[in-house]
Amino acid sequence: MNGCLEPIVGRYLTVDIAGRTQRIYFEEAGSGPPILCLHTAGADSRQWRHILNDEEVTSSNRVIAFDMPWHGKSLPPEGFETQEYLLTTEAYIATVLAVAEGLELERPILAGCSMGGRIALQLAAQYVDQFSGFIAIEASDFQPAWYDIDWFHRPDAHGGEMGAALVSANISPHAPDAERWNTLWMFMSSGPGVFRGDLSFYTTDDSLIDRLSAIDTARAPVHILVGAYDLTCTPEDARRTAAAIKGATLTVMDELGHFPMSEHPNAFRPYFIDALNRMACARDAA
Amino acid sequence: MKTKLAEMQARLHASAHLLRLGRLFSETVLLQVEEHEFYLTFEKGRLIGIEPGPSRKTPWRFGFITDQGALDEFWAPRPQPGFHDIFGLVKLGRGKIEGDILELVKNLRFFKEFMALGREATP
Repeated sequence: MNGCLEPIVGRYLTVDIAGRTQRIYFEEAGSGPPILCLHTAGADSRQWRHILNDEEVTSSNRVIAFDMPWHGKSLPPEGFETQEYLLTTEAYIATVLAVAEGLELERPILAGCSMGGRIALQLAAQYVDQFSGFIAIEASDFQPAWYDIDWFHRPDAHGGEMGAALVSANISPHAPDAERWNTLWMFMSSGPGVFRGDLSFYTTDDSLIDRLSAIDTARAPVHILVGAYDLTCTPEDARRTAAAIKGATLTVMDELGHFPMSEHPNAFRPYFIDALNRMACARDAA
Repeated sequence: MKTKLAEMQARLHASAHLLRLGRLFSETVLLQVEEHEFYLTFEKGRLIGIEPGPSRKTPWRFGFITDQGALDEFWAPRPQPGFHDIFGLVKLGRGKIEGDILELVKNLRFFKEFMALGREATP
């Protein structure tokens, strides 16, 4: 027989978020305690395709990854055609909480990358009791932009192609070519202004800095993963962030960049499994 | 350096993919390696001129300024963190972009892949 059917199943969840109806696309695989996965700016849940297909993870966990509104297969809300998309920390937090509630997830582990890692730390500071642990990947307190976010939404050039060319700086040269280009394809095909709208919050909202000391890792553990080739959230940025969270742990991933689960899945999976083991150990100890 | 650039020129002209990416790119780019300046003139993606400088008479659209040691690291088969991308060199303080950076960003994939033509094959 020709063909290989993956275990990943995709569905839609319609929820109200801050007074607007949002139809959210999500994929899931496996059974067990839930892990809710967040994608980076300018991309979508396909970044988690390898973890969703990883039997070692899904044999004992229910893994869920969703597309933020405006991303992937989650349409923008009604009236988007006259709206400037600008994500905020508050809207992002409300979206994660609404999805977790809508799917009736009981204290999931939250695993987020880049802006998803940033928001995971915001949730660790503000909603710790709703999660059982936080895996913050390529996550740090704050970095100002080293680029002009307005480059990525203009009528005379393709924002997606420019965004992909820029973020390719964050991919490790150890990444297999096929996965490098799969990763970049998501940026190339993101909606107009979406990457810019994600970056607007990521590069301007520094509210996490003052909240890091409030994170209580005794109530839910925090593990930070950072790739050595990440130019956006460097190992130095991640170390500074981990040092400001009492009890947080950190691992530097030598051969990985800013999109580790997507750009180099084989190199990433041991680090992710180690992070899950740390979450389980903390749960058992509690 | 001029020999290296000539090698990169030959690789560019042998790459149908890169010539397609650069089909709308017709600009002069300054590549400055320490005190050595090179004016790279592209015409519809083809590198039609490699002129050593300095020249105050040659207008250029954007420039990339770096040092030979950084370029050697950049061209290693598997560069160390930071040396793997031209923006990495900038972040390390080993590179600088001057001129019309938006024009560079509009043609970023083409220019990055052109610069990477100096890289030895990955083992």
